Amino acid sequence: MRINWVIHGLVRALIACAIAFSAHAGEVTDGVKSRGKLRCGVSNGIPGFSMPDASGRWSGLDADFCRAVAAAVLGDPAKVQFVSLKSSERFPALTAKAVDLVVRNTTWTMRREVLLKLAFPGILYYDGQGFMVPAAAGVKSLDELKGATICVEKGTTHEEQLIDHFAARGAKVEPMVIDSSAAGVASAFFSGKCRAYTSDASQLAALRSQAPGGAQAFVILPELISKEPLGPVVRRDDAEWTSLVRWVLYSLIAAEEGGITRANAKSAVAQARGPAMRRIAEYQARYGKALGAREDWFVQAIQAAGNYGEMFERNVGAESALKLERGPNRLWNRGGLMYAPPL
Amino acid sequence: MSDLQIYLTVGIFAVVILVIAFDLLDLALAALLGVAAMILTGILDEKDFLQVPNIAAGPIALLFGGMVVAHVLETTGFFTWLGTPFLRLTGGSGKRFLLMLVAVVAVVCAVLPNATTVIVLAPLIIRTAQALGVPFAGPMILTAIVSNAAGLLTLVGDPATFVVGSSIGMTFGQYLKQVSLGGVFAVLVIVPLLPVLMPEVWKARQELKPSGPAARLERPGLAALALLVLAFMVVMFMLGEALPVRVLPPSVAIIAATFALLLVYSAKVQPVDEVLRAVDWKTLIFFGAIMCLMQGFTKTGLLQGLALQLYGWFGTNYTLAALAILAGVGVLSSVLANLPVVTASIVMTKGYLVAAQAVPEMALSSEFTDWPVAVIPVFVAMMFGGTLGGNATSIGASANIVSVGISARYGERITFARFLRYGLPVTLAQLAVGALYVVGMRWLAA
Repeated sequence: MRINWVIHGLVRALIACAIAFSAHAGEVTDGVKSRGKLRCGVSNGIPGFSMPDASGRWSGLDADFCRAVAAAVLGDPAKVQFVSLKSSERFPALTAKAVDLVVRNTTWTMRREVLLKLAFPGILYYDGQGFMVPAAAGVKSLDELKGATICVEKGTTHEEQLIDHFAARGAKVEPMVIDSSAAGVASAFFSGKCRAYTSDASQLAALRSQAPGGAQAFVILPELISKEPLGPVVRRDDAEWTSLVRWVLYSLIAAEEGGITRANAKSAVAQARGPAMRRIAEYQARYGKALGAREDWFVQAIQAAGNYGEMFERNVGAESALKLERGPNRLWNRGGLMYAPPL
Repeated sequence: MSDLQIYLTVGIFAVVILVIAFDLLDLALAALLGVAAMILTGILDEKDFLQVPNIAAGPIALLFGGMVVAHVLETTGFFTWLGTPFLRLTGGSGKRFLLMLVAVVAVVCAVLPNATTVIVLAPLIIRTAQALGVPFAGPMILTAIVSNAAGLLTLVGDPATFVVGSSIGMTFGQYLKQVSLGGVFAVLVIVPLLPVLMPEVWKARQELKPSGPAARLERPGLAALALLVLAFMVVMFMLGEALPVRVLPPSVAIIAATFALLLVYSAKVQPVDEVLRAVDWKTLIFFGAIMCLMQGFTKTGLLQGLALQLYGWFGTNYTLAALAILAGVGVLSSVLANLPVVTASIVMTKGYLVAAQAVPEMALSSEFTDWPVAVIPVFVAMMFGGTLGGNATSIGASANIVSVGISARYGERITFARFLRYGLPVTLAQLAVGALYVVGMRWLAA
């Protein structure tokens, strides 16, 4: 009798144990939830995108996106562990599962997606490869840089594109490939080791804002030589996590389109005026769990980072030191490329 | 996988290894309990059980095929017949027996997989040891150790060398030029250790009786056909992958086992049931369970996660990094199956080299083959670690597991500690030789 009771108890304990540990959502989502923290790979310091201040608080478009994801999953934008990565470290960190997500000025390319088995859930910033030169040099166009020494960061797509661009025009340049952070390359450029510095135009603007002698001492040429769709990156082996990150990004864009802001997100969704708002209110609650997020994930994400327009203006736009034009990053119905599929 | 599950995985693995090491439970039961614990804690799910056969089915098929063919050969009296001249060649000297064993195993390993070599040669070795009046556990352990080391002689000699070589696009010829000599050293370094490790065998002298009439094959026709099956297996191991319809070694083993079963069935020597009962299922189940545990361990990503740490520790000092990888993979391979260890280490090493900017980011892809000469020794270090580290313990390599299983069936139990007494010194010597070889390669590449 006693033995039966013991066996019965043991079986119940084992079943309870199995239920407690059984996997439901994606592996990465499970890890984030059990850890209580999102491990987000960011740059090692690019103003406007991901940059720590003196107290160690990260700011920027990329950093805010990390917060939006953390809020959608964990209900708290502060639950992000920012992992500072050199550009050459971002993919090893992701494939080694040292981070859950990389939001680090990373260009979406087919090669990366297919060969490195990565997934790009969407585009956070439409950029292009530009060139920065000293204002005093009087350079007005790329043609004037033929034969010039140009600083470029190792491990980026820019190195190859730089050579290809000039080769296609029967010209040569001398790339000075620097194995360092973006700030390290900028430092080499600012100290006069090369005539120009090539990188994402947004990154050039960010680094120019910190230039010795002031931003006005340097000029970013108007020509762009490539398309650089920058966005978050995840591993391809967890489709649920990819979906979650994708829909957090789309929620930020959809919120701007629907006039939902950081300030009114909670009340706007609660009041649910109009069919679009009603759909958001209904779907966030109904599909949040299936997404692996909270039932109020939409509101949480917007409250954490603001809608896409707010994020842009605060970090890189008119309200920031960079004062970048929105250009292709405007909403689709305002002449830009930012477009969120319906929820 | 959550942090708690990562801790649990490491804990379960550690408990299973300790239980086996201290001989507290039967090893197959210990491994199965570990698997059960991983299932109940959600570490292993149905997806994992679909993935495990990708790694485990091949080696298990090889073991199964080898066991069936060896058993069928035994029923013909082949090993008794072969044992007499082999014993004569030893001249009754234990020293000569051990030296012959090293040479024969190294040569046979060139054409047969490690564990299959142990299975096929075991009856011969055990009979000879018994005839010389020495315990056969030592020679059986030596057979496993030499077969593992001989796996370094060619690119296809060991699954670990093959996986690492393939991951960097190394060809058979390149391997022969760059790595095979290291394999020769790894085998030769065993020889001076033999008098110290197995003095009772080394010093043994047995007066052999004057040769009487040679032992006769009980069923010469069947023996000839069984040998034909063995020859088919050997030839197909070498050529099967080049055929228009690719036949990989595990498939060859299954086909050979089927032919062998057909032989005993047709000749009515034994019922098929009896041949299948003679298969060492416990070893196969233990091996499968260990592979399941490895799947759980691989999922933790602990090894892959060291990529950035390696860069932090060693920067661009590839010699130090190579030596650390050799030692680390060696230690891990001594208690874990080497194939999953090297598979995870490849991700770690590629990540390290990309982070160190020795290679472009595309090197993380399996398509990348343009590896600079300077970093090849890092991968060679991994081959040495993975192949030789497994020699230390009874569970470090499939050949070891098989030699322990066969010895038990013939009446000599090899505990974890007993294997370790022979395996650890040999492994340390071999890894030291491997380290010197890797340093030499780095020096030549500089």
